[in-house]
Amino acid sequence: MAVQNYVQTIARTLMEEMRRDERVVVLGEDVGKRGGVFLATEHLYDTFGPDRVIDTPLSEAAIIGAAIGMSVYGRRPVAEIQFSDYVYPGFDQLVSQAAKLRYRSGGAFTAPMVVRMPAGGGVKGGHHHSQNPETHFIHTPGLQVVYPSTPNDAKGCLKTSIRGEDPVVFLEPKRLYRALKEDVSDDVDFMLPIGRGVLRREGDDVVLISYGASIGETLKAADALAEQGISADVIDLRWLMPWDENLVLERVAAVWRVVLVSEAPHSGNMMSEVAATIAEEVLDMLEAPPLRVSGFDTPYPYAQDRVYLPGPNRILHAVQQVLDY
Amino acid sequence: MITDAQRFQPFSDEPIRLIDEGGAWLAPFSCDLDDDTLIGLYRHMVLGRMVDERLVRLQRLGKSSFVAPSSGHEAAQVGIAGAVHVGSDWIYPYYRDTALALAVGWPLVDMLGQMMGTRADPARARQMPAHPGSRALNMFTVASPIASHVPVAVGTAIAQKLAGAGDATVCTFGDGATSEGDWHAGLNFAGAQGAPIVFVCENNRYAISVDLQHQTGSPNVAAKAHAYGMPGYLVDGMDVLASYLVMRDVMAAARDGLGPALVEMTVYRYGPHSSADDDGVYRASEEVAAWRERDPIPRYRRFLEGRKLWDDAREDELRAALKAEIDAAVKASEAAGPVPVEWMFEDVLSRPTPQLERQRERFRAARRAAGEDVEG
Repeated sequence: MAVQNYVQTIARTLMEEMRRDERVVVLGEDVGKRGGVFLATEHLYDTFGPDRVIDTPLSEAAIIGAAIGMSVYGRRPVAEIQFSDYVYPGFDQLVSQAAKLRYRSGGAFTAPMVVRMPAGGGVKGGHHHSQNPETHFIHTPGLQVVYPSTPNDAKGCLKTSIRGEDPVVFLEPKRLYRALKEDVSDDVDFMLPIGRGVLRREGDDVVLISYGASIGETLKAADALAEQGISADVIDLRWLMPWDENLVLERVAAVWRVVLVSEAPHSGNMMSEVAATIAEEVLDMLEAPPLRVSGFDTPYPYAQDRVYLPGPNRILHAVQQVLDY
Repeated sequence: MITDAQRFQPFSDEPIRLIDEGGAWLAPFSCDLDDDTLIGLYRHMVLGRMVDERLVRLQRLGKSSFVAPSSGHEAAQVGIAGAVHVGSDWIYPYYRDTALALAVGWPLVDMLGQMMGTRADPARARQMPAHPGSRALNMFTVASPIASHVPVAVGTAIAQKLAGAGDATVCTFGDGATSEGDWHAGLNFAGAQGAPIVFVCENNRYAISVDLQHQTGSPNVAAKAHAYGMPGYLVDGMDVLASYLVMRDVMAAARDGLGPALVEMTVYRYGPHSSADDDGVYRASEEVAAWRERDPIPRYRRFLEGRKLWDDAREDELRAALKAEIDAAVKASEAAGPVPVEWMFEDVLSRPTPQLERQRERFRAARRAAGEDVEG
């Protein structure tokens, strides 16, 4: 075990995977000599050289498109988009090419590749450095989507993604890059299974479900609830597509009340899907309607950077509503 | 290796042309191709034309939902195909590349299965017609969004360079594609990396109805290569020998590590953009008729006849043989029958998600409730 922060873990995991498998290549803007603007690819260029750590032109379409073409040829590309807010010039590559390649070729061609992108707010970055774009990708059949919330999860999920057979959108909560450190597995084959969430805390009174950076606020809310004598389950989904229906339905059926926390804009976000599935499958077990606490249907605001996010107070208010129902 | 560096010059004002409209050899060097190769080019052009004409008929009969007519493009496409080392090079075609796909060896049965959406389609009838692809041929599966395959092709070429195997990629598109951001992204990256790729624009002057003057202010497409640090060749794409020999040289240069190239082939599409288009709205019939006079197939036939390699008897024999092949392939593709409904759920990811499994179960239940045969 080594104590590492999130972004160090990304860099070290990439180093391990590049050592293990020479098919793995890293490409993106500033990923080479600079080691990435967040240093998520630090030391890779010095270790593996320009053939395997490729500084690309400033073009997300070129980065993602080339990653697809490399994966088709047998490489295992890990592309970096500097901020998820900048993925849109490459969006067509993900949606029209990567996501549909296996399907449209009847399985003849596949794109095993990872597109890493820092996402989420709370860094005073305004709307173009703060968004949570996961819904676009969840709504695109043929992509897997993962949004790990801790350094250790990031390691396990990144290895699973690189070694998998499908395109993965790998979202990293940038405000946690250096905000917390934890013991990270030093097992070079540490992998977390696709589509499996994790119960961060077990309780009897309410289930709180979240993922990504919002897990931090959700755990703070759970702490505050504990002081009031209310025990909360906290589920970290980790994977958004596929997502862990079994864990969610099992806990909601056991606890009967649920609050869903996501910092993405409210309408049609990931938690809309989770809430609909809960309603379809275990409605009769519920003591109160599922409530969502989320970002708003606005562009991400600059001045109100922190209050836009679903903080502990908004989560606690929703918990009170489902308890009082 | 470029066999003769002086032979073809990039950035010419007039298209590179090796035979005139009467089929007479124009170049100051001799034609170094053997008779089998010369006849093979003709055979593939006629095959492309006959298949295209059959596809149009199949669509009118309701056996295919869509056709992207390729007649007029055969010389360019057969020339491109001839320059590919099938199996080691990679091909990123676009939807109008019927003659190209057939000339590199795409089986007629596979093509007709794809066009008719039957079990004969190795891609399992997942795409609309006119979307070829073959893993065995390293021929990437066509996607409809224009130019979206260009950056992908560049990624494959960069991977070829890293592998050091001396292979190359060819990527084709129409004139409309050159306006897309992805086209720029791809050519720019290929130039920066010196990737072994040849970009080929089959310029038929129309992106559906929009003519070239409304597509670009550039004097031609080949000139755009200047900006990406690569040579741009302007070629008469209705001259199969010019198309083939230029492609042979630039593909060899790419394999030799000399970097990418852009080739513009001037062609004309005789049919509408697609079976859903009415080209009479935007082109004068006189214009089409004038280009019909320059049909690449009779033009090349005159060249072969001048060399005593072709005559009416051989023509009749070839057309009868190809017709029999096409008839048999149409029959076999139709006989393969429709694909099962439940194939819809397969090949999304390497393993189906629990979400998709649940959707499939509900779909089955609804079908059973409606009295449908869920196995069918």
